Amino acid sequence: MSTLNYSKTKQAARWFDVRRRKAGMWAYALNRITGIGLVVYLYLHLGVLSMLIRGQSAWDSFVALARSPFYLALDVILLAGILIHGLNGLRLAFTGLGFSVGAQKALFIILMVIGAIILLVAALKIFQV
Amino acid sequence: MSVNAFDQESKPTVAWLWQVVTGVGLVVLLCLHIVANHFVAKGGLRDYAAVVAYLRNPIILVLEILFLVCVTAHALLGVRAIFLDLGLSDRVEQILTRTLKWIGVLTVGYGLVVMWFVIR
Repeated sequence: MSTLNYSKTKQAARWFDVRRRKAGMWAYALNRITGIGLVVYLYLHLGVLSMLIRGQSAWDSFVALARSPFYLALDVILLAGILIHGLNGLRLAFTGLGFSVGAQKALFIILMVIGAIILLVAALKIFQV
Repeated sequence: MSVNAFDQESKPTVAWLWQVVTGVGLVVLLCLHIVANHFVAKGGLRDYAAVVAYLRNPIILVLEILFLVCVTAHALLGVRAIFLDLGLSDRVEQILTRTLKWIGVLTVGYGLVVMWFVIR
């Protein structure tokens, strides 16, 4: 039984190991890693929003803290995760519905380049604040 | 021999289609949320008074509730997909789906309570 569980876990975690894999597996792994990160962030974010219930002073103190360079750098990392997951997710939706199936690799590369450009522009905007 | 994941992804199921629908919705709603709350807002974040004024706009409130529902559904469907890779039995899959549905209901409920406290 333990052997079965181990092999299932190992099989399930196969997507995480991208060594010697093609671009498709990198795209798949990136989508899942960023997805897990974004789920964790979602619940942290919802937790932080509880400060709105505690009132003006609690929220405004948090806002002052969140404007520090450390938090702004975290925002850039968050945005990178959103862009990778969102743009790669759009590719998955297109190809899963039967569009551009033959051009998946090119689509992935193009979307990641677009994402990198958006991230650069947004990072400059974030640190201008 | 390497596996070509481009050939393996996205077998259309009802859950997958919901993930696509909520994902496409999120592209629009998340853009609005980020731009409105972090790029348009003075200083990159709204202070308490600005959050209250923002959420008291009925159109914004509806959009933020839609955003909350879409992001929660999309996130939990994604978590379910990762767990399903473990090759769960039908019974465990049913328990997982039910548990995630309740987590989703509680998450949306919590978000609505926060919004209610802000706009009341």
